[in-house]
Amino acid sequence: MFASLSRRRVILLVVLTCVLLITLDKRGNPVIDRARGVFSALIMRPVDTATNTIVLPLERVWDGITNYDDVRRERDALYDQVQHMRGDDVKAQTAILESQELLRVANLANTLDYTSIVAKVVGGSPSNFQSTVEINVGSSRGLKVGMPVTDGAGLIGRITKVFPDHSIVLLATDPSYTISAQILATSEEVAEAIANQVPSISPGTSSTTTSTTEPLPFDEPLPTTPPTTALPTTTTTTILEIIRETGALEGQGTDSPLILRFTDSSSAVTTVRVGSIVETAGGNSSLAPQGIPIGIVTRVVTETGSSNAVVEVTLNAFLDRLNFVFVTLFEPNPNAVGR
Amino acid sequence: MPRILFGPALRILPLGLLALSLQRLVFAQHPVNGVKLQFVLAVVVAAGAVGGPDRGAVVGFVLGLLYDLSGTTPLGLVALAYGLGGMAAGYVHTLLPEPHWWMGSVFAAVGAAIGELAVPFLGQMIGESGWITPRLLVQIPIVAVAAGLMCPALMPVGRWMVGVKRKKWKVMVE
Repeated sequence: MFASLSRRRVILLVVLTCVLLITLDKRGNPVIDRARGVFSALIMRPVDTATNTIVLPLERVWDGITNYDDVRRERDALYDQVQHMRGDDVKAQTAILESQELLRVANLANTLDYTSIVAKVVGGSPSNFQSTVEINVGSSRGLKVGMPVTDGAGLIGRITKVFPDHSIVLLATDPSYTISAQILATSEEVAEAIANQVPSISPGTSSTTTSTTEPLPFDEPLPTTPPTTALPTTTTTTILEIIRETGALEGQGTDSPLILRFTDSSSAVTTVRVGSIVETAGGNSSLAPQGIPIGIVTRVVTETGSSNAVVEVTLNAFLDRLNFVFVTLFEPNPNAVGR
Repeated sequence: MPRILFGPALRILPLGLLALSLQRLVFAQHPVNGVKLQFVLAVVVAAGAVGGPDRGAVVGFVLGLLYDLSGTTPLGLVALAYGLGGMAAGYVHTLLPEPHWWMGSVFAAVGAAIGELAVPFLGQMIGESGWITPRLLVQIPIVAVAAGLMCPALMPVGRWMVGVKRKKWKVMVE
């Protein structure tokens, strides 16, 4: 095979073939897409299955020897966590019912309007440069490119390639991932943040062109403590006024938090604080419906010499421990999918 | 006929599939310091270190193409990067006709560094942004050292794959 060609010709042939293939693939050649599907389904999967049959028992034995103590410790910690979460679950169910009732009253759409399909993660990217996982559900179950993927904790990414019986999910940490997101903060938090950072500015002047203040449709705010308290002067109430700061959330690589850049650079930095909730913003050009939880703000850095802030967001989901995921059957705008 | 059937072309494919499967199932699942060791690249540079630049480039091309087909990287990108890596490792044969195993390992490590580094740079050239990050400074040495360490064990496999035999030197006795 090698003897008939000179060294330079072999190398030149390799380089030219690669350039040709890259050009064809970047132009979206359907033959290459089909070849990928056939290769994955008919060639790679049987090889993976055979390799797994041999490797998995060895891997389990090794894990058993080296990680036994860690696994026991983790199990004990998880028992504790489950006990706490049972309590939280009851509160959350109540909150969901209330929320659904409010949305119904206000005639608003929410994420629960879309059905989800459960999928199993069957593989990850072998490369250090792309953050993707492969799931065992494809176009035969109605999946399309661009659909958002979540796990129990929140958004994990979106579908980028769909084959008949499997799909590739681009994880939110990948540098090419971008989604429209919003930071939610109650006005109480905002007032506190403003008081801590810019004492001279009153809360009423903090709203910007990108901030939309949406009071919920109530005549009176709901008390957070039972109304049976004997001392009305000490009763605390949460001001049900949610400040939304909208921007583009971008992945920064596997080990880095996501970065949120505001749609308008004049967004008030003071309204964003560590611990605020980040969720999908929705809208016509978004890749996901509004209200899918993404994560929380873990750091706010003001850029030197400007009012712009870089907001770091840590995902709720643990992307290195994905097992079962949910694909929301939300069809995004085709123009948004292309981005 | 047997020469065609059992020639390098038909040895590279099954071995490449096996290497890719091990990469996906074992090495990708157990990162070292957050870096996924590149077993396929280690096989490529080992083949280059025993077979020379042209054979290294061809093995890199074929295994890289399989890598591209199994993932979402543009088809031909990893093939080109691994081809460069295999070719670089093969240049050990320009120093000595039958290099020591440790020299092969050193060149394999260099080839692996070039192959891994070429992926983000070539990616950048064709519009894949965000791959060149400071993390490359950690990633490249780990991948290169791992490939250099794996190389002595993979050299016999590489030799069989590209169809070269170890040279035997005989002393002519009159």
